[in-house]
Amino acid sequence: MDWRIRRLGQSVFTVWAVMTLTFVLTRFMPGNPIDYFLVEVGPDLDDPAQAYEMAELYMNINPEDPLYIEYYDYMTAFMQGDLGRSMSMNMPVEEVLAIAIPWTLFVMSWAVFLGFTAGIAIGAVMAYWEGGKFDTALTGYATIITSIPFYVLALVLLTIFAYRLNWFPTGGRQPEGVEPGFNFLYLTGIVHHAMLPVFSMFVTSGMAALTMRGNSIRVLGSDYLRVARLRGLSDPTIAIHYVARNAILPMYTGLMIAIGSMFGGAVVLEEIFVYRGMGWYLIEAVRARDYPLMMGAFTVITIAVVIALLIADLTYGKIDPRAGGENREAF
Amino acid sequence: MTISESDASLVDSTGTDTIVELRDTSVSFGMDRGESRVLNEVNIDIERNEILGVIGESGSGKSMFASALLDAVPAPGTTTGDVIYHPEDGDPVDVTGLSKSELKQFRWEEISMVFQGAMSSFNPVRSVRTHFVETLSAHDYDVDAGIERAKDLLEDLYLEPERMLESYPHELSGGMKQRVLIALSLVLEPEMLVMDEPTAALDLLMQQSIISLLNEIQEKHDLTIVFITHDLPLVADLSDRLAVLYAFEFAEIGPADEILERPAHPYTRALLNATPNLSAPLEQMRPIEGESPDPVNIPPGCSYHPRCPLADEQCKSIDPGPYDAGDSRNHDVYCHHWEQSIDDLERAFTESNSDDSPATRNASHSDDAEPLVSLEDVEVQFGSENDGWLDFGESDVVTAVDGISFDIYENDVVVLVGESGCGKTTLGKTAVGLQRPTDGTIEYKDRDIWKGSSGSSTLEDEEIRRALQIVHQDPGSSLNSHQRVRSILSTPLNRWHPDLDGNDRRERILAMLEYVGISPPEDYIERYPHQLSGGEKQRVALIRAMLVNPDLILADEAVSALDVSLRVSIMDLMIELQDAFDTSFLSVSHDLSNARYLAEKTGGRIGVMYLGELVEIGSAEQIIQNPQHPYTQALRWATPELEQDDDPDENPIRTIDVPDQKNMPSGCRYHTRCPDARETCRTQKPELVDLSNEDGVQRTACFRVDDDHEYWDSEPITDDAVDGDEDDDHVNVSG
Repeated sequence: MDWRIRRLGQSVFTVWAVMTLTFVLTRFMPGNPIDYFLVEVGPDLDDPAQAYEMAELYMNINPEDPLYIEYYDYMTAFMQGDLGRSMSMNMPVEEVLAIAIPWTLFVMSWAVFLGFTAGIAIGAVMAYWEGGKFDTALTGYATIITSIPFYVLALVLLTIFAYRLNWFPTGGRQPEGVEPGFNFLYLTGIVHHAMLPVFSMFVTSGMAALTMRGNSIRVLGSDYLRVARLRGLSDPTIAIHYVARNAILPMYTGLMIAIGSMFGGAVVLEEIFVYRGMGWYLIEAVRARDYPLMMGAFTVITIAVVIALLIADLTYGKIDPRAGGENREAF
Repeated sequence: MTISESDASLVDSTGTDTIVELRDTSVSFGMDRGESRVLNEVNIDIERNEILGVIGESGSGKSMFASALLDAVPAPGTTTGDVIYHPEDGDPVDVTGLSKSELKQFRWEEISMVFQGAMSSFNPVRSVRTHFVETLSAHDYDVDAGIERAKDLLEDLYLEPERMLESYPHELSGGMKQRVLIALSLVLEPEMLVMDEPTAALDLLMQQSIISLLNEIQEKHDLTIVFITHDLPLVADLSDRLAVLYAFEFAEIGPADEILERPAHPYTRALLNATPNLSAPLEQMRPIEGESPDPVNIPPGCSYHPRCPLADEQCKSIDPGPYDAGDSRNHDVYCHHWEQSIDDLERAFTESNSDDSPATRNASHSDDAEPLVSLEDVEVQFGSENDGWLDFGESDVVTAVDGISFDIYENDVVVLVGESGCGKTTLGKTAVGLQRPTDGTIEYKDRDIWKGSSGSSTLEDEEIRRALQIVHQDPGSSLNSHQRVRSILSTPLNRWHPDLDGNDRRERILAMLEYVGISPPEDYIERYPHQLSGGEKQRVALIRAMLVNPDLILADEAVSALDVSLRVSIMDLMIELQDAFDTSFLSVSHDLSNARYLAEKTGGRIGVMYLGELVEIGSAEQIIQNPQHPYTQALRWATPELEQDDDPDENPIRTIDVPDQKNMPSGCRYHTRCPDARETCRTQKPELVDLSNEDGVQRTACFRVDDDHEYWDSEPITDDAVDGDEDDDHVNVSG
């Protein structure tokens, strides 16, 4: 059997397994959507029993069904492309996701892109001057900054730049009172809102620089580099085709995983900045025990990661001939 | 101060055509402990179109010598003195004085280099063709013409040019990479090729095949070759001249045959005697006492004087200059007493070594003796078969050991030899219970060693675990670097002799250290492994295995990682310990010379393995002098000898490369490479046939030993019939 087909099969299996597990786990969370609805709506109604009927009517679920029937129903609907209806948002899950995902991708892709490019560049320079002042200082800095969780930094940034200095908005994802669309004010407003979240993610991503530094130092000490110098190859050829390419290769899978995990967003980050993306909706869904939305969000995240890994696997052979066509996995 | 009788030899000698001359060339590194001189004011003239063999043990400065020729000493090392290159026409070039861009041109165009690590000399993500193209264009050569030249070179090296150029480095075997690297180093048509241990990582057969190719290449391209190695026999046959490096200086330089027959320097003589080989009588092989000096503290005077039996006051204070030795003018020796050395050294040796070399003994066993460890149809497979829908892995089984049976007796020595990947180490580990066989049984004193340990990979029976021990190849990584020698050695004692108190343990360890020649033991017991030399580490590892009183020790390439001059002494020690402790050795080696030394001295057996099967086993004398299996004969051919052979035998293998283990050849597995293979060998599998006679035991798995076998009536396999893939590396080296 072709290993690509087998890899695809593995991916499908992984998605199914994670979905099943998620489905079971969410149902075991204490509380359920009806309770939440009753707490929210109940006090306003005269008869609590009426609330129960309303809940069933509005949310179109039957909490009395045994788990396996619910599971069967959900999976059948899922295969037909129906993710169900979000109970808390009162609209189809697909629509909620379609609204949330672009915002999350916007913030996360900038954070990942800046983190990796800066990391690779800085790491390469650190390796070139290994042991020098620049290297020592930045290694120390990267180590400390990487060990600070991004949300701690986010809170600090938020306090200083948003609440004290008022340079940035304290939350939200788009400017208020501006017509959404391709106009200057709206676009700058979006960037303005995204800056603090991106920055707090970017600053804490020192890992890429440290990895790049380590990889480069390993390559710089390799025999083939010495032979290349003796062969008289030009410095740019050596720097790009010999050092950089071999140092970046091992980071490729990491990059793909980072891209895959972007869809999940940084849950806590979006909560802090009240940035309505996937993470924010996910927390809302958990709070409201909104089963369909939770399932939808988790499934999207799972599929994104699995697809990213699949792409990493399928393309790794293209960029690293050693892994080409063999029965090897990139991670 | 230098005194010299023959300053004439330093003047560009008349009649010879010098290509590179080194004058007072030094390479030094600044270190915390002081300046480290890793090449110390050497002088040598390399002549045009010669093959110069440079021999030195590890840490003798031989790699630095190679780098200095191209002014390519890695930073922060510095080269001082003169390196002068004489082009065929034109003015001499001072290599150390070249600017960066001049140097870039000089390297590879005039002198190029082949490193030891061919495996890692290629950029793994660039194809072989790219390597050629970028080299050509970096030097402004015509790329198309250059690629044509590269194809010719590859063809001369018995490689398929097109396939090689399209390959990526990882797709080539070690031997192929090494040959491609040679082609790459010759693509700019340099005048001189410097090879630093180019075959050290290769198997015997491949090594010998490449050496044969070098001769042809050298003649065809009018090359000057400097071949640097630790392995004296390897270059003995190839070289025109030999240069012996000791402690960062040349000890002796001269024509190869003179150096081999009448070595004038005591070190050369000692090195020749310390090198295990197949033909010399065992009594002649002796270790060199002592260790090579530290580059920070080179002894004053002659650097060899602390180890030299002829040393006197003059040697301790005065650096010996080159003396003319021998008949020819160009034999220089750096020893005050070279004349004496030729005559007296034998005596000096006999005095210092009179009674501590163990006598050859005979450990042959009668058939009815009880075996200590008995292997029955042992089979080891790696990888897993695809066993169900949840197993996404492919069926991927490699049979490393395939149905091997043999017995090891008390006080026995069995040495397994074979190429890498033949399963010798796996078989060894299986025999001492470190690898669970997938089929077959291993019995220790009639008890199945895996009994009761279902599914686990450790032995249930502690008694058996104690009885079967191992000594690893690399003592540097088998000793815990964070523990002192004391704690390394007391661990086995704590485990197996809990009744001993601290003092007894210490006494016992001290006694053992003393016994193996590490003194003063009180000093060494507090040291960490990195404070020991290679030989000392291996001694400590041996003691550690011995302290648990094992019955059988697996010595996995126990001397391969050591310097040539130390190998004999460690093997002597192993034999001595075996006597004293009543143990048996199962040794694994890729080197027939080492195997012969160990087995012949103890009257043990040598087992030859090929692709997971035992093809021949017998007493050392029989295997070396009278090999019956064609594969044993090929190994015998590939083992270099310490003499110049004017009439090299024909290469006895049809293809260099070992067949793929996932796709084993049918019938006799050697038939794809065997020069005597016939159609029968393709279909039938030979069994081990007992050929023992009064000369010794011997069992061989080849049809040729049976005069009545149908083999003799079947058709010989011609090379055209061999699959295309295996034809790629067909080598017809002859004459």
